[in-house]
Amino acid sequence: MFKENIKLRLTATFLICFLFFLQLNAQRWDVPADKKSKNSYIKFDGNTAKEGEAIFTKNCKSCHGDLGKSNGIKTMNPAPPDLSQALTQELTDGELFYILNTGRNAMPSFKNTLSEEERWKAISFIRSFNNKYVQVLSKTDPTKSKLVKINCVFDSLSNKLKLNIIANEKTGVIPLKDAEVSLFVTRYFGKLQIEKTIRTNADGIAIFNFPKDLPGDKTGNVDVAIKVSDELYGEIESVNKFNIGIPTDKLGLTQNRAIWNILKKAPWWIIITYTSIVLTVGAFLLYIIFSLLKIRKLGEN
Amino acid sequence: MLDQSKFDKITSDLLKPIRINHSFMVWMGFLGVSLIVCLYAYSVQLDKGMVVTGLRDYVSWGMYISNFVFFVATSLIGMLISAVLGLSGEKWASPLARIAEIIALAFAAVAGLVIISDMGRPERLINVFLYGRIQSPILWDVTVVTFYVLISALFLYVPLIPDLKICYDKMNQLPAYKRNIYKVLSLNWIGSPEQIKIIKQSTRILAILIIPVALAIHTVTSWLFASTTRVGWDSSIFGPYFVTGAFVSGSAAVIIAMFFYRNNFKLQDYITEKHFDKMGKLLVLVSLIYLYFTLNEYMVPGYKMKKFDAMHIHALFTGTHALLFWSVQIFGLVLPIVLLLFKKMRKPLPMLVVALFVICGAWLKRYIIVIPTQEHPFLPIQNVPMNFKIYTPSLTESLISLAPIILVLIIITILSKVVPIIPVHETIEHLEETK
Repeated sequence: MFKENIKLRLTATFLICFLFFLQLNAQRWDVPADKKSKNSYIKFDGNTAKEGEAIFTKNCKSCHGDLGKSNGIKTMNPAPPDLSQALTQELTDGELFYILNTGRNAMPSFKNTLSEEERWKAISFIRSFNNKYVQVLSKTDPTKSKLVKINCVFDSLSNKLKLNIIANEKTGVIPLKDAEVSLFVTRYFGKLQIEKTIRTNADGIAIFNFPKDLPGDKTGNVDVAIKVSDELYGEIESVNKFNIGIPTDKLGLTQNRAIWNILKKAPWWIIITYTSIVLTVGAFLLYIIFSLLKIRKLGEN
Repeated sequence: MLDQSKFDKITSDLLKPIRINHSFMVWMGFLGVSLIVCLYAYSVQLDKGMVVTGLRDYVSWGMYISNFVFFVATSLIGMLISAVLGLSGEKWASPLARIAEIIALAFAAVAGLVIISDMGRPERLINVFLYGRIQSPILWDVTVVTFYVLISALFLYVPLIPDLKICYDKMNQLPAYKRNIYKVLSLNWIGSPEQIKIIKQSTRILAILIIPVALAIHTVTSWLFASTTRVGWDSSIFGPYFVTGAFVSGSAAVIIAMFFYRNNFKLQDYITEKHFDKMGKLLVLVSLIYLYFTLNEYMVPGYKMKKFDAMHIHALFTGTHALLFWSVQIFGLVLPIVLLLFKKMRKPLPMLVVALFVICGAWLKRYIIVIPTQEHPFLPIQNVPMNFKIYTPSLTESLISLAPIILVLIIITILSKVVPIIPVHETIEHLEETK
């Protein structure tokens, strides 16, 4: 009996330790080796840190709090760490960049909401809290992205958007192969991604199936944003207008009479109810005042 | 002949308080000095801005708005006593009608000022009239408060006309200019049958008109809260809940006023123990209705405990506001009901004590309705200083909140020193009828 109990306890202890280990592990980020070694092509300095602070305040502070003050939201699980602390500073720039790109649990991905430049500037701000930090610059030449040209052709029969991505090098036209391509359309509150991110083939071509029921503006125009990310050429974004949406002409929320509209566009039922109540009560009051005047007149005689 | 002497006694008894005596000067002096101190606090607020109050981004409606709701609430008693009881033929209430009307007028008139104290830029009030949207309950509130003040003033004035004539006739000791004011205001009253008919008809119209307007004023005040989706305010019974609560605080105010008028103006023959007994029963009735609504207001969300409702209800029942919440319910509502069920408690002095508890409870109850809700917004409060999270009224704010109460006391005191607090004409008329 006693022996069994010991066994049980040992098993339980082991199990708890194992679960604890799993839990610890779950809090680490699994960053692929190639992403880990990625570096910024922007040189971090006071200016980039300052610009990064503005980006941080707008996008990160609401959960992570002020850097150095450890005042992030403690009730979240896992709690967002103070990014000025060792836990974060020990990570490589590539790891930080990867975390920003992918997000996890409550932390969203910033890949599509912030440009690559903005993401690196946010990291620059985080690094400004670390005196020991020495930056390793990426060999990517940011000017190279200007050589890239994106050609789009829309095939209305198959509803496919064909992208041909090339770089106009001095030596001639080179197709960007194996570059990441994402397609978005601009909506009211941000960008809507169309299909998944794909890679270009050996000829620098990527093909997207465009949905047939996407609402466009009055004439069916849709703003299509193409984002290309290449190891060598960096990040390139281009926005084009295509007449490939369904023409939509919905009345704006403030065009009709509504409770939330201005006085001139108040709903009729409120105008009628309010006015008739005010007039009725006002009429009674006038009648009373008239009666009082009559009393005075009667007394004169 | 005996009757005539009786009438003379009534007239002299009821007109006697209309004079300026030593205690009036002391009382007004005290109120005046207190008001000046409070106005100084207000000048500080005008100079430095709303930062001198405890109001911050999250709790942006504090003591001032609680005060406003309390004032509007208390003013509703005029409608209950003068109109509802009057129209339903409850003769016992007629000597109290004028007291109730004076309280109603004073509280309603000052309620508008209370709102202004909550404005950092009071000169912008004009924008409500210039650019107000009739879709907004705020504009409805401004409209009904204005109407209610006008109707209350007329409802006080119209039945007063015969009494003003009596004042003019009997108060020979007054300086000529004061008597002339009575003369002008009495509108050539001679008591002719036509005049009496018009007065009766006008009083009746006002009594009927004031009922929907009074209901509207407090229902609209409740809609200022209930037309939002905030937890604790998003309630479909807020209109009747506010109206019944209003009768509780108003009845308590009338009882307190009755006690002081009875003792200071020596009106023991006119405000009798019977009146206190009846008012005690009325207070129990309105409190029971209010208790019923309170039960509904907390029981229904408390049973379901939806995520955000639960946060709010926990804060009230067991959290930071629990002490206040339970004190208000027990000392301001439940105990008064139980105590006033005993006939012995429905005597002037015990009732004064109970009424004071009820009226303090009523004020704090408004505080509980207005503030805790704002401490639990739907989006979590983050990265703000401590005083943004928990509202603590500042001293300046408290003094400014005190000013309207002093102002109401000044208005009531002055009115009760210039007009007979018990209707003379009606009392005589009533005596003739019952002869």
